[in-house]
Amino acid sequence: MYQTVVGLEVHIHLNTKTKAFCGCRAEFGDEPNTNVCPVCLGYPGVLPVLNQEALVQAYLVAKALRCELSPRTLFDRKNYFYPDMPKNYQITQFHDPVGRNGSVDFLSPDGTVKTVRIHDVHLEEDAGKMIHAGDMSLCDYNRAGYSLLEVVTEPDLTSGEDTEAFLQSFQRLVRYLGVSDGNMEEGSMKCDTNVSIRKAGEPLGTKVEVKNLNSTRFIKKAVEFETKRQATALDGNRTIVQETRLWNENRDVTESMRTKEGSLDYRYFPEPDLPPFVPDKAFLQAIDGRLVELPLARRTRLLTAFQLSKEQADFVTESRFLADFFETATGTGGTGPAAGQAIANWLMGDVQKELNHFGLTLEASPLTATRLAQLQALLDSGRIHIKIAKQLLVAIFEEDKDPERLLKEKGWEAITTEEQLSPILDQVFAQHPAVVEAIRAGDVRQKGYLVGQVMQATGGRATPGLVNSLLAKKL
Amino acid sequence: MDIGELETTAALAQIDLGNGDLERLGEAVSQMLAHFEKMNTVDTEGLEPTTHALVRDNRVRADDVTPSPLADAMIDQAPEREDRFFVIPNVL
Repeated sequence: MYQTVVGLEVHIHLNTKTKAFCGCRAEFGDEPNTNVCPVCLGYPGVLPVLNQEALVQAYLVAKALRCELSPRTLFDRKNYFYPDMPKNYQITQFHDPVGRNGSVDFLSPDGTVKTVRIHDVHLEEDAGKMIHAGDMSLCDYNRAGYSLLEVVTEPDLTSGEDTEAFLQSFQRLVRYLGVSDGNMEEGSMKCDTNVSIRKAGEPLGTKVEVKNLNSTRFIKKAVEFETKRQATALDGNRTIVQETRLWNENRDVTESMRTKEGSLDYRYFPEPDLPPFVPDKAFLQAIDGRLVELPLARRTRLLTAFQLSKEQADFVTESRFLADFFETATGTGGTGPAAGQAIANWLMGDVQKELNHFGLTLEASPLTATRLAQLQALLDSGRIHIKIAKQLLVAIFEEDKDPERLLKEKGWEAITTEEQLSPILDQVFAQHPAVVEAIRAGDVRQKGYLVGQVMQATGGRATPGLVNSLLAKKL
Repeated sequence: MDIGELETTAALAQIDLGNGDLERLGEAVSQMLAHFEKMNTVDTEGLEPTTHALVRDNRVRADDVTPSPLADAMIDQAPEREDRFFVIPNVL
């Protein structure tokens, strides 16, 4: 039986307005080669200048991943010739990355919290995009020079399932920090996956690097495929070749990629155009100021404080916005498990239903945390019951008004006093004299009919208990 | 310098060297390497490598967009283009 060993190199596009080393707009979907300048096209004599915000975000991620932060971070040139990088080198960090020796926890599908060590976090630039068609290749350098953060893990993951869970957890983490949207389909998060296998207790086996993986599900499948492929090879007394393989998503297999011999000597040397960066006290304080409670910690806290189920806890911490929404609506923990359950149920049930119905995200919807809290308060105080509450929720989506105001405008408030109910009862009595007579003569079975008439006349707003007691009195 | 090593170095730098060049430059490179060897004998124990001269403070810029007015002019310089793409022989 073999053990799978996985290490990852995760790249994320940082959430900056401009590229890493020039003021060109960092924006997807623009016309080809519109966001380019002499710096990112590698013209001679130009001088790259570091984007401070990219550095802040890089240090922020390193800090969140419990890294040792570099007191003096440096950039290096990684030399290679390929037309996606017009400079013929990529500016990256090799000798002094922003962070080293970190670790991060994630929740494994087996229910335990596992830790992955972080080898390093370094800031670099993305390459341009190429389209290969017929005998030519088309180059678009809008993406060349984008700030890219690479997080390199130690080989601490041991299954495809764990690798997928780790990446989803990492995605949430960068979204919580606000440094990237972490979207793999759109290419703002990419992951090279190193897989090897070994028998328990043996040293690490030969690793194979898998590329071209643009979803966490493919990565899980690729890890599982590689485990089987390598096991078959070892069982057949064949050796594993250290190589790069590409994921073929149509066939669910990895395929060997041909590599040019000797092309992997990158001849790193310090980038002479970029001076070292020494974070000062103010810079480090700014990093601390932007650090947030991380998703896993928040999930654990909310799970305990509100006695949520695992599903509820997962749901309400899926995004920072949702978690903030949940905590605002519950009064930041002060109101206890009952409020937590109620709000979580709203969010997972009817709110989700209305969002789908109206085709909205919670962020863009008229439902604010305050409005949901007000709606729940109306329910708790008995001024409305659950059916009206659901109607009110729809009305909030339709009319974008506070629940209290809608309640008044719609006249949906529950009828809770005899003074309110009495005239309605009198009216029903007047409309159905024969039924009233029959009941008074002893046919109590017809009482239910009268209750139904009262409920209809009040639009369901009367409390059944009150209707019954007042009915008894009047009969 | 070993001719094989020189060939590898030239290939990495994408420089096309003919046979005559290899012998001639091999000699020159060997001289340079000998000089580096001499420099290597200097005791640098405890000294930090100098990667940059005359650097005092951090040099960074704010994350503000400064669109380049040269984008169109640079595309015009391309030997071959299609719409706004630079066109090169297929490298896949």
